[in-house]
Amino acid sequence: MKLSNYGFLALGALVLAATGCSTMNTVENVPVQGQRNIIADRRVITDPDLARSVAIIAVNTTPGAGGLLRAQVEVANHMQSVQRFLYKFEWFDANGMQVNNIISANLTEQLEGGESKFISSIAPTPDCKDFRLKLLSAN
Amino acid sequence: MNAKLLFPLIAALPLLATSCATDAHYVQTGDREQIINLKQINIQDYAKAASLAVQKLLASPALDRVTTPPALVELSRIINNTSQQVDTDLLTKKISIAMLQSGRAVTRTVDDKAIGYQQQQAYLNDPRNVRLPDFTLSGKIIETVERAGDTRRTTYTFQLSLNDTKQGVQVWEDEEEIGKQGTRAAVGF
Repeated sequence: MKLSNYGFLALGALVLAATGCSTMNTVENVPVQGQRNIIADRRVITDPDLARSVAIIAVNTTPGAGGLLRAQVEVANHMQSVQRFLYKFEWFDANGMQVNNIISANLTEQLEGGESKFISSIAPTPDCKDFRLKLLSAN
Repeated sequence: MNAKLLFPLIAALPLLATSCATDAHYVQTGDREQIINLKQINIQDYAKAASLAVQKLLASPALDRVTTPPALVELSRIINNTSQQVDTDLLTKKISIAMLQSGRAVTRTVDDKAIGYQQQQAYLNDPRNVRLPDFTLSGKIIETVERAGDTRRTTYTFQLSLNDTKQGVQVWEDEEEIGKQGTRAAVGF
């Protein structure tokens, strides 16, 4: 028995059904009242697939309570299917030394197809002014 | 490809996948290989709940509303409303470390010797100088199980409250939900 073209199409449809393609619709107020302090960033992409399914849209920061800097990164899934990923914020003090505690834990997150989401963190100490966000695909 | 060859190959794939033994190796908490159990709180679940909760606590100005900073926090009771034995230090110690490191709070010791020395000094000096906690941190861990056929969804809810000891009110609260669904335990998420 040979797999016909229809067979391949059916197989493809099955794979799509198994991965659960569904995308998200949203609505929001305009004009937006809150102004985000978008900052310049440097990106290192080693996983192009992840860069499409968890694309970094913008990075913004704001000073928080007790002098702790808060950072927020908007990520979006440009694919049709759900994407699970790990993220981790690393924080660095004024001397560039990494400060580690539970704030820098690996955290799981997921994005539905077409969804955008904000992931955020807060500096563990008032000295920490620099940060790096690491993203890792579940697969 | 000949179907006679294709079907045994497809049938053998799950066997190959499940029979791959792995040698013991060191791992990082919360990495891609994390084990996910439906009937227990995994180590990464505590880490996620503690991380998200402490970030919200530090983002809140609640800890700064004390006359003598840094705030003195006493870790109070975490009620375990799950079906398993839980060491709540896996949650509270992480939060305590982050609070101390932030410089915005210190935690009251639970060490018997340190408490003894402190009581001795309070007796020798003016007992009115003994500082009482500004806040207590209490909470609850709740387990919710839902089933549909063989599929089980377990949700662990971590509730935390920062209680003002002078006014007897809660000045900060948080709730983190960790949900897991499937039919059996798995490696990787």
